[in-house]
Amino acid sequence: MQSTRLRIRARQLSDMRAPIPFLAMVAALLTLSSALHAQDVANPHAQALMKFQDQVETYVALHKAAEAQLPALKTTNSPADITTHQHLLADKIRRQRGNAGQGTIFSRDVSQEFRRLAAVPLQGINGSRVHKSLKRAEPVVARLEANTPYPENLPLQSIPPTLLENLPKVPPEVDYRIVGHALILRDVAANLIVDYVPDAIP
Amino acid sequence: MRSLFICGLLGIALFLDKPREPTAALAQAPPNEPKLDLRLPVQPKSVRFAVIGDNGTGAKPQYEIGQKMDRYRQQFPFDFVVMLGDNIYGGNSPSDYKRKFEEPYKALLDAGVKFFASLGNHDNPNERFYKLFNMGGKRYYTFKEGNVAFFALDSNYMDPEQLTWLENQLSESKSDWKICYFHHPLYSDGKFHGSDVDLRARLEPMFVAHGVNVVLSGHDHMYERIVPQRGVYYFVLGSSGELRMGDLIASPRMAKGFDRDRTFALFEIAGDQLYFQVISRDGSTVDTGNIPRQTKQGVRLQSGPSLAAAAAVN
Repeated sequence: MQSTRLRIRARQLSDMRAPIPFLAMVAALLTLSSALHAQDVANPHAQALMKFQDQVETYVALHKAAEAQLPALKTTNSPADITTHQHLLADKIRRQRGNAGQGTIFSRDVSQEFRRLAAVPLQGINGSRVHKSLKRAEPVVARLEANTPYPENLPLQSIPPTLLENLPKVPPEVDYRIVGHALILRDVAANLIVDYVPDAIP
Repeated sequence: MRSLFICGLLGIALFLDKPREPTAALAQAPPNEPKLDLRLPVQPKSVRFAVIGDNGTGAKPQYEIGQKMDRYRQQFPFDFVVMLGDNIYGGNSPSDYKRKFEEPYKALLDAGVKFFASLGNHDNPNERFYKLFNMGGKRYYTFKEGNVAFFALDSNYMDPEQLTWLENQLSESKSDWKICYFHHPLYSDGKFHGSDVDLRARLEPMFVAHGVNVVLSGHDHMYERIVPQRGVYYFVLGSSGELRMGDLIASPRMAKGFDRDRTFALFEIAGDQLYFQVISRDGSTVDTGNIPRQTKQGVRLQSGPSLAAAAAVN
């Protein structure tokens, strides 16, 4: 009788064990999730990129506000309309940004992250291919100043697609350009150097 | 009276249906000009166009090429011109547009010839808003003429969005002929620049997979036709204004090259044949031939003299 009772108790205990792996899994997932979250917050690469995206969003909002004050640029037979729109937009943005200089968007940590991102495709398996394309793109050199127009007579050096795809995606109002070893964030319609990372391209 | 009316209608219909052939008055050359050496068939209802690259200097040779193009148009009536980038060098002021585009091609523009531009590294991307470049405000775009689809790309900034767009456009296109054009060449024996190998790694597989027939580029300031690569024909024409004399270093993949003077090209597509003629500033024919349309796998549909045969003559 005693042994029967013990066997029943043993079975009950065994039945109770069934949800334990499930609970353990939930606990493990919760731990992993909070660990990942903590890692995400602590990850300097992710932090720098988030900071960059926020800064770009702020800039694009400013660009849109400035552009809204101008007549919309449509296709036109008049080159004067095109250049006037470009210059007026650039003036408005420059005034709004005041004394924004190098580092406004590409702060020290963001610049560091961009140097790392730009180096990856140049060192990888396709590195020599990307190097060759950079060399053959008609490299340009100029003295750079943030929040000033991209020099009118300076060509826009092409960027190898492999390098471009390794950089964070940016809205159509801005694009990346290369001048010497610097990586520029340029306002497309205003032809303005928004900011730049010195020595970004090895 | 009624038969007279019907005859009149027939006459008008025949006149309108007539292929655009040169009139005697138009084709007449100035007394001191040599006769034009046109080697294209000028078939009725064919797609005819001219090609220029690296043209926007505003200097005398660009104007001379513009005049030569106009003279050829009188014997070879083309409807549009494809521009391979560096459309306006230097500044982008209204006077630059005038001096480096509107004036050199005035006769063509006055005759209603349309220009379809692509952006070079010397171009301000805001040129896309200039109506006479027919870019519709876009950095890259496509248009169709007859059985030919054209894809104008921005090779300065080949971002993932543009690559996706191109992949979609090429896969959706039902045209018999697909021609891509952009500034930076995937193959070039130009000493100063040469092939853009990273761009090639991205674009060439797409061209092959979607049956692109011909690719036109500039950037190197000379003319070169490349031996077909993976079934695709490549032309480099970056000497319609600029010129880098002696820039070519011939490699085994060069089918024909010319780096002694400025050039432009004329293309004609009739059915499954593409004919081309490259002409220098003095009117000499630098290169000519025909390309039978390739299938997706690069197998040519043989009908008529092959390019190899035509090239051997020239």
